[in-house]
Amino acid sequence: MHPADERTDDALVAAAAAGDEEAFEKLFERHRRQVARIGGRFFAQRDQIEEIIQDTFTKVYFALHTYHGTHEASFKAWLAQITVNACYDQLRRARRRPENTLGDLMENESADISTQLRAARSDIEGALVSRDLALKLLARLSAEDRLVLTLLDVEGFSVAEIAEMTSWSISKVKVRAHRARAHLRRVLRKFL
Amino acid sequence: MVRNPQENEGIDRLGSLILRAAAQNDSATEAAAGAPFLYTRVRARIAEEEHRRNEAGNWFSLLLIARRAIPAMALVAFLAATIMFWSASTITPGWNRLDDEALADTRNPGVEQTVLSRNNLSRDDVFSLVLDETEREKR
Repeated sequence: MHPADERTDDALVAAAAAGDEEAFEKLFERHRRQVARIGGRFFAQRDQIEEIIQDTFTKVYFALHTYHGTHEASFKAWLAQITVNACYDQLRRARRRPENTLGDLMENESADISTQLRAARSDIEGALVSRDLALKLLARLSAEDRLVLTLLDVEGFSVAEIAEMTSWSISKVKVRAHRARAHLRRVLRKFL
Repeated sequence: MVRNPQENEGIDRLGSLILRAAAQNDSATEAAAGAPFLYTRVRARIAEEEHRRNEAGNWFSLLLIARRAIPAMALVAFLAATIMFWSASTITPGWNRLDDEALADTRNPGVEQTVLSRNNLSRDDVFSLVLDETEREKR
C-alpha cells in the first residue's frame, strides 16, 4: 500500500490528476459509500446504485482537472454535486423508459395504496409506509420534482445548496420545489 | 381550487413520509457499495469513455479542417463563377457583333450567305425575285 494513504482528498485529487492511478483508487475506496448512499436515495435496485457509482466516478475522473478545493469538505461537496447530477440523468433516462413509469397501477394495487395512505394519514407519527408503495407513488413525479423534494426533505439540503448542486438558480429551485409539492399533493389526493 | 392550508400541511407531511420511505435503502446501498470488481468496472468505463472521446476528437479535428477549408473552397467557387460570367460576357457579344457586321457590310459576301440561309432561298429564287421586281418597276 502507498505510504500516502493518509493524504488529504485534495492531495489525492492532485496526484490522480497527474496520472497517479493508485491515488484515484484511494479516492474511490474512500468515497464510494457516500456516492452509494446518495444513489440509494433515488434508486431501489442494487444494479441501479452500482450504475450511479460507476457513472459518478467516471465523471469525476474526467473532471479532476476542474476541481479546486478550498477547504476540507470541498471534495465531498464536489463529489455530491456530481453524484446528484448522475442521479438526475439516470432519473430522466428511467422516465423515458415506459416500463419504469408505473403509469397504470392494477386495481388491487390502487386499493392497497389507498388503504396504506389513509392509515398513514390518520397516524402520521407512527405510520410505516412500505418502500414499494413509496416508489410506486414517486414514479409518478418528474425527475426534477423527485430530485428537488428528496434533496430538500430527505437530505435536508438548503435551497442554496441545491442550487449549487444542480447548477439551477435559487428561484428555479424554489419554483420547482413549490410545483413538486403541488404535484405530489395531487398524486396523494387521488388515493386518499 | 383553493385548499384548506391545514389539509395541505397534512398531505405534505404524508409526502415527506413517502419520500423518506423511498429513500430508506440501506441494504441495497451497502450491497452496491461493496459489489465485487466495482473499481475494475469503473476503470473499464473510464477506458471506454476515453476511447469514445478520442474518436469524437478525431471527428472534431476533421470538422475543424473542413471548417478551415470552407473559405478556400468558397473563394475558388467564386473565382470560377466570375471567370465563367466574364468569359460569357466577352465572347457572346463578339459573335453577335460579327453577325451584325456581316448584315450591315454589303461588301462582305457573308451578308448574302446569311440572308440566303435564314430565308431558305436558293440563288435562283433570289435571281427570279430580282427580275420580277425589275419588271414590275418597268410597268
